[in-house]
Amino acid sequence: MARWRFSLSLFLLATLGPWLALADHSFENTAIVRTVELGGALVHITTTYAVKALEDGSAVYTIALGDDEHEKTSWLEAKIKGQSAVLPLEKVGYDPKTDIHYYAVELSKALKANASTNLVVETVQTHATYPWPEEAGQKDGQSLKYETDLLVLSPYVTSVQRTKIRSPSPQVHSYTKPEGLEAFTLEDPVTKSGSTLTYGPYKNIPQSTTEDFVQERQQHVTIHYSCDYPVIEVTKLTRTAEISHWGANLNIQDNVHLHNGGPRLKGHFSRLEHQSSAYFGRQPPHIIPGLTLHLPAGIHDVYYYDLIGNVSTSHLRTAPSVPKGSQNNQFSVLELKPRYPILGGWNYSFTLGWDTPLGDSAGWDKESGKYVVGVPVMTTIPGTVVDVAEVKIILPEGATDLEFFPPFPAAMNELSTHVIYLDTIGRPTITLHYNQLTDQHAGVIYVSLLVTYKVPFSAHLKKPLAVATAFLGTFVLAFAWKRIDTRIQRQK
Amino acid sequence: MGGWDLMTRVWRLVVPATAYVNPASPGPTISPPSPVSFQTIMADYQSIQALHKAVPPFSPYIAVGLLPYIAFFLLVSTFGLAFYFSTLPKDTIPIREVAVASTASLLGGFGVVALFCSVGVYV
Repeated sequence: MARWRFSLSLFLLATLGPWLALADHSFENTAIVRTVELGGALVHITTTYAVKALEDGSAVYTIALGDDEHEKTSWLEAKIKGQSAVLPLEKVGYDPKTDIHYYAVELSKALKANASTNLVVETVQTHATYPWPEEAGQKDGQSLKYETDLLVLSPYVTSVQRTKIRSPSPQVHSYTKPEGLEAFTLEDPVTKSGSTLTYGPYKNIPQSTTEDFVQERQQHVTIHYSCDYPVIEVTKLTRTAEISHWGANLNIQDNVHLHNGGPRLKGHFSRLEHQSSAYFGRQPPHIIPGLTLHLPAGIHDVYYYDLIGNVSTSHLRTAPSVPKGSQNNQFSVLELKPRYPILGGWNYSFTLGWDTPLGDSAGWDKESGKYVVGVPVMTTIPGTVVDVAEVKIILPEGATDLEFFPPFPAAMNELSTHVIYLDTIGRPTITLHYNQLTDQHAGVIYVSLLVTYKVPFSAHLKKPLAVATAFLGTFVLAFAWKRIDTRIQRQK
Repeated sequence: MGGWDLMTRVWRLVVPATAYVNPASPGPTISPPSPVSFQTIMADYQSIQALHKAVPPFSPYIAVGLLPYIAFFLLVSTFGLAFYFSTLPKDTIPIREVAVASTASLLGGFGVVALFCSVGVYV
């Protein structure tokens, strides 16, 4: 579909945003299935819309998100079921009366009347769960609560919809049993099977984005479940990638501020109890004893230290370097063990860095005379949310014609100069600021921030000439000193 | 010409020189990036990614493995020439002193850069 038609559709949708509930009749939902995978810091939601076009040429489908859901969502992606191509998606409006946010999805091809397709929308929510009870003893378990809207909102009529909520463990302490749904179902509104709760099926739901429907029909459900792994949050991540042409090296350094988002420790911490539970393999689920990180292949000179100094409790298994651009499934595995186990509510800050050959990440394009470098945005800690991330790329001194291509938009971009060893004018630095990053953002094989730049040959000589100038200054001083008579008594 | 002025004149940047706030935030990251949300000119990520995979890997002008030996040779030469400089007589036209000092400085400049890279400070 031509890009201008999509833009025109978006323009129309944007201007008619508040009236979408009444105006848009080009689709009908034959079925909506929402699957919620509960976790600790992250909740993965997959919503499958079985849509049927009511008019010829229907190509833009509108998704509605409630305000609460929108606030927690940090990743939103739409695909056609069975296809890998990601569909263009754009925010088109917000209705302040219903607090609903609208997103338009451009289908890969327009549908004819009565044709149907399955649209899969994946979202990742952050900080959607909270510990309950809020405090727990060192030996106690960990339980979380998750709240969500019962019905999936849509500006289209829906024949049937259901929501499946999967808990990570079979222990579900309690869940909401909704009432007043006789208009949509005569059966039990919620059923439980093992660790899966199924809300629905609810049938014949009208356009649910109207003010009346949201106020009278929408309900809130809460699930209280047991979580058998710690809730890991990174409150701040600062990644610095420094490129050196002289050393053919790419140094990546992460400053990580880690937080355990589980229940706060009730009482005191007992080292004896901790050692005992570790020895017998009965580690409580809310304690973070260590982390296992998958770092790039080919790294060397890895360092790990915190505020006190070097932390020696780590184990690294490196993978050999792989050529740039080749398919690589190998990672270097680093097992970190902080100085102390991180209990609920506790924080730990550390610095982790490594060097890699620049040839594994950067290339030279002879045609344009530009270098192209790819820097991973972050290292994935599975199931972890990164609240604030700052990714800084320090380019060689004298780099020009900078262009950067992030895999997803940043909240803010900055350009600055970084001065370090042997620099004269300083190194150009690109800084990108991100919020609420998840493992989806990191990608399966480290989605990279791409930067292109030029470095003239003369720029490479800046450092040696700067040092040579300093040496020459010393020689000039020596030259002058030789010609000054510093004797106390002059010879007659 | 000051350093900051030189910086802005030398760089041809695609993005503005001041901090830029994405008008689409706050909100979820949308994959792929929204086509109309940015003021900066951004080429297709996939095409740059394909270029990144296709171009030959970076290769330095001087092999990194040779840098420790180059550093040793150059810095020993610098030391030797500096000693020789100290023994030179005071000429009226100091041609030899200038030549020796210049050569020693140049060798020292490259030697120090090679030394830094050899010890892990990749400048």
